[in-house]
Amino acid sequence: MNKKAGPLFYLLLAVFVFLVMFPFLWMLVSSIKPINELFGDKAFTPFTSRPTFDNYISVFTNYPFLKYLWNSFVVSGITTLYTVLIASFTSYAIARLKFKGKTVILGLVLSVSMFPQIATISPIYILLKNIGLTNSYLGLIIPYTTITLPLSIWILVTFFRKIPFDLEEAAKMDGATLMQTYWKVILPLAVPGIFTTAILVFIAAWNEFLFALTINTDDKFKTVPVGIAMFEGQFTVPWGDITAATVIVTVPLVIMVLLFQRRIVSGLTSGAVKE
Amino acid sequence: MEVKLNPNPSPKKDPGQAKTSSNKKRKASEKRLAYLLVAPSLLLILLIAIWPVLQSFYYSLFDLRLNNPTKSEVTLSYHLDLEKYLNSYPFLINVLEDEAGKAKGSPAETLNGLISELKEVDAGIKEDSAVKKQYEQVDDKLTNMEPVSEELSSVKVDKSDALKLDRTLHKVTSEVKGLKGLKNEEDALGLSSSLNEAVIKPNFIGFDHYKNNLTDKRMWMAIWNTSAFTIVSVFLELVIGLAIAVLINKAFFGRGLVRATILIPWAIPTAVSAKMWQFLYDGQNGVVAHIFEKVGLVGSATDLLTTNLGAMFSIIFTDVWKTTPYMALLLLAGLQTISSSLYEAASIDGASKWRQFTTITLPLLKSSILVALLFRTLDAFRVFDLVFVLTGGGPANSTETISILAYKRMFEQTNFGDGSALSVIVFVCVAVISMIFIRFLGRDLLTDR
Repeated sequence: MNKKAGPLFYLLLAVFVFLVMFPFLWMLVSSIKPINELFGDKAFTPFTSRPTFDNYISVFTNYPFLKYLWNSFVVSGITTLYTVLIASFTSYAIARLKFKGKTVILGLVLSVSMFPQIATISPIYILLKNIGLTNSYLGLIIPYTTITLPLSIWILVTFFRKIPFDLEEAAKMDGATLMQTYWKVILPLAVPGIFTTAILVFIAAWNEFLFALTINTDDKFKTVPVGIAMFEGQFTVPWGDITAATVIVTVPLVIMVLLFQRRIVSGLTSGAVKE
Repeated sequence: MEVKLNPNPSPKKDPGQAKTSSNKKRKASEKRLAYLLVAPSLLLILLIAIWPVLQSFYYSLFDLRLNNPTKSEVTLSYHLDLEKYLNSYPFLINVLEDEAGKAKGSPAETLNGLISELKEVDAGIKEDSAVKKQYEQVDDKLTNMEPVSEELSSVKVDKSDALKLDRTLHKVTSEVKGLKGLKNEEDALGLSSSLNEAVIKPNFIGFDHYKNNLTDKRMWMAIWNTSAFTIVSVFLELVIGLAIAVLINKAFFGRGLVRATILIPWAIPTAVSAKMWQFLYDGQNGVVAHIFEKVGLVGSATDLLTTNLGAMFSIIFTDVWKTTPYMALLLLAGLQTISSSLYEAASIDGASKWRQFTTITLPLLKSSILVALLFRTLDAFRVFDLVFVLTGGGPANSTETISILAYKRMFEQTNFGDGSALSVIVFVCVAVISMIFIRFLGRDLLTDR
């Protein structure tokens, strides 16, 4: 569509962008205010004359925040690697090979992705507790599979289906086995799709809250979302620390989104739009 | 080769036969490979998603409490904790015999009656040779002051024996109380009650948790809160999201920036954004609360998080802020698949913009809208992080959703049986919602595209 965008359009757009970004901008401003300007008269001024990094220093010295970041990184990273690997095999089979029961499997995957986490938590918690895996990385990686595996299969199947079928036929003519076709022909072409899936899976694992809250209660194994949600001061809510921590979590996300926005959008919409 | 050696070759048929046989082989190996590739995922899904849901249902039929040692596991049969039993039984007999020796007349008779009844029960328990063996092992260990393992201590006993013991102990308690003025009354009562704790009854209770929950006001309140939150927030997200999608479905300068803006609220962890909004909604220092007060949306800035309606509004507002952009993105992708020639033809025919929207855009966008609605509705219905961090379900449970209630039952009251029943209820609701949607969507969600 090539409708011309007028000045009114840009104005509306600017308002939209401002409204969506306002909370983040406010957090950024508040995070560099000295503590006493977060309360009272100056609480609503959108600038400060005495910017300070005290809140940022406090986040890393008063809480094991670096540890939280590391925990989140390890858990999400391993979850992503292993789920995407397993899901890529399954999706390849569903998208490219002929066998019975495809629709049933895809239906199962879709229904599992709709499972409410709360419906699986009690057996998973009791099992992990009995085998001593609460407060460990594995204790989160295992249950995260429920969320990430259906997600990755769902997205990857769409990507695998987009690869032209002629290529496989050509490989077949040349006498390549199915596994060779997969590794040498299909996989290289699927790399962008796999990468997109990996980004989405990583974000999903990074953001998970319920399992992280219940399974890893020890400070040494808490993830970032739980860590920030549990920020508590001795007498008052430590708003300064919270604003700084929010900014610390948001900045890498913003960079990631700016770098990979096209991929993320294609991944998000791949399962949802018929082409 | 075989084909060539065939004594009666029919030239047209041969290559075909060879092809079909190799094709068949290939097909068979393709199938085998396919199942091999699918197997790990299926196995994982079975273990980590299907099994827990079934197990949740199984747990929901039991009175399962992790903080209560007699109910911390699911048991279908009667058990006796031998360590506890042997730590009380001989002493109870001693106390009773001691009292019987001192008493005269009818009290002595009563006490002797109780003693013989208790001994009879004890003998009944030991009738089973396996139980007797374990009984004696535990007894030996206790006399030698050795620790008794949990496995050795617990023994399965007949229902009739267990119930008889239970009945007899109740009788002991009531008659000892009735005799009034026994010197060691307290000891006898204490021993009797700790002996009673040695009997582990099966905690299977059938559908009682469901019965209790379905008549519990708090559960219905939670269902109502969840439904209200889901319907209002998803409706707003759809309407605003559609408006934004239609608005930005054109070529303009700065698309990338807008796309990034849309993605950031979606990408940030819900728990972190909830904490952020808690700061913005704060009654004293929250800037959003302050602005709402200034424009007259709320009477006072403190109303937002401290009144029932204010808290629900806050949660819905935050959810709309976080997910409308995502909804717009999904719908925008749908819009971009609609050919612009349709609109051109319509404007040549003189159709107004609104008419174009209702006759072209909406019908062609139907399946995109339904898919987006399905995912958003299910997501909203199982809302947890946002409510947990922003309001904790308060004030006065006015924002308590069904997932929050289930969490509280399980992890705050350690009542896993009841909590599991609630989570099964959430599961059933979600299943019903998706079935309704899938009826509308038909099978095209799953078939090859």
